[in-house]
Amino acid sequence: MADGDLPQKKPLNRDVNRIGDSFIFPPRVMDDIHIKSELGRYRMRGFSLFKKIPHWDDLTFLPGTLTRFVIEGYREKCETKTVIGPRAKKPLELDIPVYITGMSFGALSYEAKTALARGATMAGTATCSGEGGMIPDERRFSSKWFYQCIQSRYGFNPNHLVLADGCEFFIGQGCKVGLGGHLMGQKVTDQVAEMRSLPAGIDQRSPARHPDWLGPDDLALKIQEIREATDWQIPIQLKLGAARVYDDVRMAVKCDPDSIYIDGMEGGTGAGPHLATEDTGVPGMAAIRQARKAIDDLGKRGEISLVYAGGIRNGADVAKAIALGADAIAIGHSAMMALNCNKDIPEANYPEEIGAEPGYCYHCHTGRCPVGVATQDPKLRERLDPDEAAERVYNFLHTLTIEAQLFARACGKTYLHSLEPEDLAALTMEASAMAGVPLAGTNHTVGVEDYHHL
Amino acid sequence: MASVTDEELKQMTQEERVTALGMRTEALTGKSLYVEFDPDAEERFTYPWAPDVDFNKRTELDTDKMTTTEVNSSIRELMREGYGTIVLKNPRGKHSLGVGILSRLNLIIEGSTGYFGVGLIDGPNVRISGRVGWSCAENMMSGTVVIEKNAGSTFGAAIRGGDLVCKGSVGSRTGIDMKGGTIIVGGDTGALSGFMMQRGRMVVCGNAGKNLGDSMYDGTIFVGGEIKSLGVDAVTAELTDLDKAWLTRKLKQYGLLPDKGVDHFTKVVAGKQLWNYDNLEPNEKKLIL
Repeated sequence: MADGDLPQKKPLNRDVNRIGDSFIFPPRVMDDIHIKSELGRYRMRGFSLFKKIPHWDDLTFLPGTLTRFVIEGYREKCETKTVIGPRAKKPLELDIPVYITGMSFGALSYEAKTALARGATMAGTATCSGEGGMIPDERRFSSKWFYQCIQSRYGFNPNHLVLADGCEFFIGQGCKVGLGGHLMGQKVTDQVAEMRSLPAGIDQRSPARHPDWLGPDDLALKIQEIREATDWQIPIQLKLGAARVYDDVRMAVKCDPDSIYIDGMEGGTGAGPHLATEDTGVPGMAAIRQARKAIDDLGKRGEISLVYAGGIRNGADVAKAIALGADAIAIGHSAMMALNCNKDIPEANYPEEIGAEPGYCYHCHTGRCPVGVATQDPKLRERLDPDEAAERVYNFLHTLTIEAQLFARACGKTYLHSLEPEDLAALTMEASAMAGVPLAGTNHTVGVEDYHHL
Repeated sequence: MASVTDEELKQMTQEERVTALGMRTEALTGKSLYVEFDPDAEERFTYPWAPDVDFNKRTELDTDKMTTTEVNSSIRELMREGYGTIVLKNPRGKHSLGVGILSRLNLIIEGSTGYFGVGLIDGPNVRISGRVGWSCAENMMSGTVVIEKNAGSTFGAAIRGGDLVCKGSVGSRTGIDMKGGTIIVGGDTGALSGFMMQRGRMVVCGNAGKNLGDSMYDGTIFVGGEIKSLGVDAVTAELTDLDKAWLTRKLKQYGLLPDKGVDHFTKVVAGKQLWNYDNLEPNEKKLIL
């Protein structure tokens, strides 16, 4: 531009004649319809839900100032010991409130499973077998280990059950409540197929119902059977996808487990129908409150533990879930990220290998995980160094804990589990209604006439 | 691993046993973790804490006034004392009787059991003179279980091995999620038998209810009577000479061979149409296949 010339006006980067864009049918929805019109079936993917729901970010802590006495942040003790199933002869005692949830060998690689086990053991916490049976090295590397009794009973072996520190009945998961598991043929290798007694290479769709019990009355007897088989030593946990939480948890309590695990709709999966992931379940903040109320209403607080999982990303989320009533937190998705999920590592070329940029990959179901976590391919698995991965898992678990302690201390608690709903406020009306805490700056809890009588 | 004797295992520490049984496959350093465990390695059916018993050492237990837990604890205690033949009298339909036995044992139950009778077992030979409730011998790994009268629903759910025999009739969902072994029913079976069956063989001498073999992945079902209807992806197949020979031998073994032989049996297998569906999208296919 020569001196003295006026700057030229930029042309508008939009069509002023256009009336508007459809909110109901934006381009992504149209693309989805176009693809499904060609496929003739629902679309499969991994990861967790994509849409926005009321979430942990919609809650904030109300730390001590003058009305509360704070605990010295970096010096004074803030206990984190966590007990799952205190009534059992051998309760599961964890050093920290977070453990690694069940993710199957098959969905995850051998390296990922053992790295999770080693990282959890270093952090003084537990892992879980997930579907598909025990891999010996996971048991070996896990100082505390849940054995999952899942609908399909793939690989379920009573000889392995007696090696467990806890038995978890998988009844549902938050991201696809009411559906069975999925493991696409690309990941059903000879080894995985043999463990599950399946033909190799098939698309495995697990049953949604357990084979040997149908309702809560049968489940109570099934729990008794597992207790008998394990000599009443280990805690029995029921894992439920969050749906009709209050009623479901009341029924679960009647079945007399040692622990109830609620999986919010934020939870992830290695494979599932996209729509099921988006459109089933209840957000965690609502689920925890309802589950806590159900356990308390039946007088079982302190006897039956409440574990929560789903969408936990950092220590603030951990602390908020505990404040709302969870006794322990399980993580899956974020633990996979600690392993390297969606990280741009030098060995991987995401766009060429999976058709997505790092940070946008949801293709676990294809078995072509560029970082060697959600795959059975030997070449891809070489990209995950289990030693370094175990270290990262430990670091992440440790970080979650010290972050959660930070909020507990700020709220004046010397024990992480002393956090309570009164330590929280909601930033949105929806969060206030679901979490049952007042809207920030008010004494009003949405849906509650008198907040003193919540 | 197979060369280690039980005597040697007894002398070992728990750490050494874990290694000897193949539970430990590599050192905890460096890339050695890439060494795979071997899924085909011989699986020991007798773990070191499962006691050796003498079949000739016999005892009886009157369970009339005992709780299920007391009965099961007594069985374990008696096995530790070396009793290889245990007779349970007056079981009175108790649930979860004889579950979790992971060793050789002759267990004779004189009467009927409730839900989950002899579930989660690996090795014992069980004879039940009465009836059994739901989910008898669920997840059985090996051994034999013979029931003289009728059985409830979900008979032999998810069993992985052994012979499970009911000489009478059974309820619905027999052999659901079955992963191996053999289930033999002398009478009829109810609806949805063999649902999502994966491996193994099921023999029904009488009639089968509707939706037989629904969504079965694999395995074989033989039916001597009428089949109300086949389930999704279950199809009939030719009864081969090998099938007939196996059926004759197996049914004879348990005194269930019909006078007219086995030629009239219908064989049902998986149609395998549900094995795969096109789970990849065009852009994924381009990159992956």
